[in-house]
Amino acid sequence: MTNLMTPKSPQWWKKDDVKKTFILWILCTAVIGYVGVEFHVRNMVDPASETMSGVISLMRVFTWAAAPVAGLVSAICLTVLTSKRHYGDNPPAEADHEIRNSPKTAAVWVVVSGIMCLFALVAGLIVLQHDNEAVLDSQAIQVNVTGQQWVWNFDYANGARSEDLYLPVNKPVVFHITSVDVKHSFWVVQMGIKMDANPGYTTEAAVTPNKIGVFDVRCAELCGLLHAYMQTKVHVVSQADYDAWLSAHGATEAGA
Amino acid sequence: MTTLTQHKAVAPGKSIIEKLNVFTALALGVISSIVVWRLALAFLPEDAEGARLFSREDKITLLSMCAWFVGFMTGIGALVGPFRWLMGKDLSHSENMFLAGENMGPKRYLRYTTDHKVVGIQYLFITILIFFLGGGMAMLIRTNLGTPEGGWLHPQAYNSIVGTHGILMIVGTIIMVTGPFGNFIMPIMIGARDMAFPRLNALSFWLIVAAAVPLIWGQFIGGITTGWSAYNPLAGQAPLGMDGYIMYICIFALSTMVAGANITTTVVKMRAKGMTWNRTPIFIYGVVASVALALPAFPVFFLSQILSAFDRALDTSFYNVAGGGSGWLYENLFWIMGHPEVYVILIPAVAALMEMAPVFTRRPLFSFNVAVLGIAGISGLSVLVWAHHMYISGWAPLLNAPFMLTTELISIPTGMLFLVLVGTLWRGRIWMTMPLMSIMALLWNFMIGGVTGIYLSDVPADAFLHGSMYVTAHFHYTLMGAGLTGALASLVYWFPKMTGRMFDKRLSWISFWMVQIGFNVAFIGMFMVGLAGQPRRVEAYAPTFNTANLVTTIGAYTIMIGMLVLLHGVISSARNGVKAPKNPWQAKTLEWTVDYPIPLENFDVLPVVTSDAYGYGKAKS
Repeated sequence: MTNLMTPKSPQWWKKDDVKKTFILWILCTAVIGYVGVEFHVRNMVDPASETMSGVISLMRVFTWAAAPVAGLVSAICLTVLTSKRHYGDNPPAEADHEIRNSPKTAAVWVVVSGIMCLFALVAGLIVLQHDNEAVLDSQAIQVNVTGQQWVWNFDYANGARSEDLYLPVNKPVVFHITSVDVKHSFWVVQMGIKMDANPGYTTEAAVTPNKIGVFDVRCAELCGLLHAYMQTKVHVVSQADYDAWLSAHGATEAGA
Repeated sequence: MTTLTQHKAVAPGKSIIEKLNVFTALALGVISSIVVWRLALAFLPEDAEGARLFSREDKITLLSMCAWFVGFMTGIGALVGPFRWLMGKDLSHSENMFLAGENMGPKRYLRYTTDHKVVGIQYLFITILIFFLGGGMAMLIRTNLGTPEGGWLHPQAYNSIVGTHGILMIVGTIIMVTGPFGNFIMPIMIGARDMAFPRLNALSFWLIVAAAVPLIWGQFIGGITTGWSAYNPLAGQAPLGMDGYIMYICIFALSTMVAGANITTTVVKMRAKGMTWNRTPIFIYGVVASVALALPAFPVFFLSQILSAFDRALDTSFYNVAGGGSGWLYENLFWIMGHPEVYVILIPAVAALMEMAPVFTRRPLFSFNVAVLGIAGISGLSVLVWAHHMYISGWAPLLNAPFMLTTELISIPTGMLFLVLVGTLWRGRIWMTMPLMSIMALLWNFMIGGVTGIYLSDVPADAFLHGSMYVTAHFHYTLMGAGLTGALASLVYWFPKMTGRMFDKRLSWISFWMVQIGFNVAFIGMFMVGLAGQPRRVEAYAPTFNTANLVTTIGAYTIMIGMLVLLHGVISSARNGVKAPKNPWQAKTLEWTVDYPIPLENFDVLPVVTSDAYGYGKAKS
């Protein structure tokens, strides 16, 4: 815009405060992006599935995508705060200019935020599509998950039933989730999946555990008095251990 | 019209409206609820053998609460006007003057007073009270979460405190800007003598008082153990305290609808001569957008709770799966209110800071049109995003992608608001005051709240984050970090006009830094435990979350001290602060053209507006 220029400095990008803001912008973007990513990645649990790894890389990408915007806002605030400040009970002299708007700036701002919005949408949709297809996998292990105040029950195809979840490593699994009383939410923390358990309906979620170990299942929807204690463990074991566990438990259930 | 103020008050000791005040209202409310309670106990039939639900107690509770409501509203005098109309009459002129609180002194604050300035102060008082109670509950929650095993509070008490803190704060933040400043400042700012419907204005305030009592009542009959969202079917099996929640929401929704109709009409019809839409201050847009959004949102909330009450008391099955209902119906109704509602809270607070930005940078508001467009864009989109609260509810997985689109689109108008604020700060003359720093604090907090909102808007990331402490931290960043910051700045900024005295500068700074630092410490800690996997609304947690929870608790105590300093500032400055000049900030909006104390109808001669209020800055030579 022409009114951004003053006779002293014909080109706006050569002005001191613009240069200062530009340098601060780069610095702030780097700091915010790095700290933001590290903050999220370090605090997030270690992934035990591709799904969770996908979530972590999405957060990484989104944080770096948002960093330049956050960096620009911070840079402008810093420039403003480090310029001449006025203290006192009476107002300072009025500003030298009366720029009321700058359609170009606004247009650039809107277009850039539109592009970023589109980017976030597409990135999310790709991952979402992958997750949705996993639910339809008919080769997967099918486990029925039933929430009730305040325990989880897991039913396997061979009639086994348990309160701890057992899964073989590297095999896709589809959960069919429901509840017998109020709404719960089935959250396998380290695998990055969560689906509500609704009374009267069955919902699906799918995941492929890729790490042997013991992980957490927590209820993520307030379900009454002992909501905080409605947690259990998921044991991801080798295929052989899983088969052994399954036949042992299927047998005792059938025998009982 | 100009001679109105010269009329004497009412003839002594005649009219019924002179005898009514908050005490008669409390008395009549209590008496009528006791009478109805005893009658219901005596005459309501026992529940049938083998009934699905035991609904008699709910019927009795709800009837008693309705009786309280009717009794209180009758006792305060809300029905005098409508009753006169039924008889084909209206209030006399002197009665109207009495209602306006003419020559009445402090007593008018305890009555059904129609003067918008009195209503504004009443709203300010009740907002402070709500924050005091809700903040106290937050401290109980945080104290309980200081140690992993919980147990300091009983789980039921804990759940009830979480729910009550939530719904109290939601109401507190909804009214915190449009209540005190929308009522006190807004009519003067647009050059009006009062609101379009002064009696509705008084009604909207006293409805909130009437609503508060069932909520407190509910604490003693089992509490609100469902969280503020009161999801069914959990709410169906919750104790009798749930009826208190239902009544509270229904009455508050009425208040919001009344206030919404009133404020919208006032702004559309009563702006001063010459105040075209281009010259209307941006704060007015914020207030109107807020209450206009409440107009579609709160009737739905009202409806959702009426159905909830039917399910509990009349054994219907709107949300009861066993009888053919669906919990997803409740979730949809709730969030159709719930998502516009966060912008009901946010928009006026941001708009208030936009109003202050030119004043404290001594330059015009940058891109007024973009600001209006941003507010309009947020308002329009916000009614189309509700199901992002239900991504993982399983209700309609196919709709996740469209709702992801609408949710992420909101970042565009939100970005416009950022542009306006940073554009105004740029090359301004920075006047270091608490409101100016509040703009910076809003930009910082709202940036964090906004970016974390993008993660949450993404379905796969939400599948991990939903229902965790991360969400709690996110919405506190938007509603408290952005919203409350704007409201506190508004308090300091308009304090001279509302009390005639300046807000103590030192106290405003101390409180600002304590609240902002404490806030960021507290909620960064909460983000950490959310990422590590701690669910929301738990009274105990795994020991690995302990450090970050302790950090959050320490931050929360810092906020508490900061807020108490602010409260001390309000009281001490209102009593012995420095006398304020007419226009201490040298601002250009109309409210700074009237003297303190502001006369009953604000202006002797209505102002004529010839330019917008942002004509700062030297013309270029």
